[in-house]
Amino acid sequence: MKPSNLAIMLATLLLPPTGAVVAEEEQNLKSKKPAASHGHRGAKTFHIDNLDGAKITYIQPDLSSQTITPVMGKVTMPVSGVDNYHALVVEKDWGDHKEVIIRYQYMFGRPSKQNPVRLTAAQKSEFEIVPDPLPREHYRYHSQQTWGFLARYQGELLSNHPLTLTTSNGSEQTLYTDEHGRVTFQIPDDFPGLTEGERSKQTAQLTISGEYQQSDTNHSTQLVADYRVNPSHWQSTELGLLVLGIGFLAGGYLGQNLKNRDKKA
Amino acid sequence: MSTLNLSVIRKLVQISAFVFFVYGGLITGYYLEEKLSGALPALSCAYDFQGSDLCTLIPIQHQMDHRLGETIAKGGNLLMGVMPTLITLGTFLVLFVILNKAFCGWLCPLGTFQELLQMIGQKIGLQRQESLSKSLVAKVRPVKWFILVLLVFGFPLLTGMGMLNHDLGDPFCKICPSRILTTLATGSTEQLHVDTANATTITLTLFADFLFGLMLALGLTLRQPFCRICPMLALHAVFRKMGLLRLIKNASPRCDRCGLCAKACPMDIHEIHTDMTSRNVTFEDCTLCGRCVEFCPDKNVLQLKYAFIPLFSADPQYFKKRKKAQTNWEKQNLIAWFGNKESKRRAEPS
Repeated sequence: MKPSNLAIMLATLLLPPTGAVVAEEEQNLKSKKPAASHGHRGAKTFHIDNLDGAKITYIQPDLSSQTITPVMGKVTMPVSGVDNYHALVVEKDWGDHKEVIIRYQYMFGRPSKQNPVRLTAAQKSEFEIVPDPLPREHYRYHSQQTWGFLARYQGELLSNHPLTLTTSNGSEQTLYTDEHGRVTFQIPDDFPGLTEGERSKQTAQLTISGEYQQSDTNHSTQLVADYRVNPSHWQSTELGLLVLGIGFLAGGYLGQNLKNRDKKA
Repeated sequence: MSTLNLSVIRKLVQISAFVFFVYGGLITGYYLEEKLSGALPALSCAYDFQGSDLCTLIPIQHQMDHRLGETIAKGGNLLMGVMPTLITLGTFLVLFVILNKAFCGWLCPLGTFQELLQMIGQKIGLQRQESLSKSLVAKVRPVKWFILVLLVFGFPLLTGMGMLNHDLGDPFCKICPSRILTTLATGSTEQLHVDTANATTITLTLFADFLFGLMLALGLTLRQPFCRICPMLALHAVFRKMGLLRLIKNASPRCDRCGLCAKACPMDIHEIHTDMTSRNVTFEDCTLCGRCVEFCPDKNVLQLKYAFIPLFSADPQYFKKRKKAQTNWEKQNLIAWFGNKESKRRAEPS
């Protein structure tokens, strides 16, 4: 295997997107007033180093695609005007070693009327790891949740194949796909410095990676995505049940009171 | 067959609809794009990942927040800002015209759940027989309008304009009992919680949990407690004249002295009985359940009509059978059973 730029590419692709969201949030923090908008409808920009020789493809929900040219080491997923998941595919071919990184990014816009299954089902590279399913529109990966992924080579599911989940917080876990080529990972609850009861907006990146040898060619693939702190850190079901119980008692009292009042009337 | 009446048919439809809207996503699909309409005129919750559709109130809140509110704040094209809401309301209307307010009385999962609570209350012996007083009903009626104006349109719009914090972007969903009910029904406790992130989330989640508990208890003793304040009922009320299904009254002089229709009404709409002039008596709180028609003893005085076609009309013979069936149903409850057992025990010679 040739020395690879993969580590650098990966580390940089994993950096949080910049642009409208961050700018808006920074401004918001300074003014201490709610922002007029979430600013989430803009383009998503990723810093990527060492892109020499890499092919970058941007695939829209209707599977139309365009090649992206990096500018000053940055790759921008442009505003397509439609909502739903879009895919960014970064490929490098070393001859006997092919590397690919895929990121599915939810973009906002007018309804695309496209099912995300169409995007995940489409072959984006020879060897790829596919979310099964992607988090539903408007939802995200959170720690402690379990999510399924498929390993595919040229569209065929790979059974009993090792896949590794790593996170930017330092966790690592390797599991094998089942006979249907599916593996289920629990996203680790590995955010540092959490205080129970306090909301944390920390974001980290997870990578699910695998390798596949076919003839003389080694294929390596990474699926990268953001994940967030599970809200259960600041949401209490026990308290919820308690309040529900108080509401139930209040309802019982109110119902009885209404009955007595009507009897008197 | 004496047991098959409109109420029984309606219960069967309601239970089927409950299963379909709460679990139907297992067949229709997981992603929002796979949901049936995205603007259902009933409280089928988007937080339920196994659901087959979502209620129209969630896109409206999001559009107020992310589209219209943002457009106003940025001084953009208002028509473009309001267009998504018009499309959502258009989809809502296409469905609504077909069934009118029967979406509430026949299809809403939360309405069905409250009727099941009512049946449980009746079987335990807790359900009150009397209707709520006119004055109480009159006090409660405006609440649904306040919720519609403030929580569905107002707060999300102000949030989009940057005047409120982002946790008030979908405040009705945050307090809606259907969110807790439908997710619990799929085995998830994620939506039953107190969120301690900030004062807004604490207030909203405390209110939501309290309201759900209140609804559970009141549902055992009162008919349709949450429906009376539901903003979907208010939204229906705005467009009710456009629906093809209607409740029609051909008032007779006997109506003055009867009032059985109002007593049968789960929403305590006294006007069905007292209004002697209107022909279309699909009042703002009506859910087109048809109970008033069932319990009207005079031929054709009340009718459920689809456009001009009578679907179900009041009939003296039907009324007699229905009343008998209702009396038998109400007699059989735990308290009555224990009472009978006790009196039999006392009557036995020692």
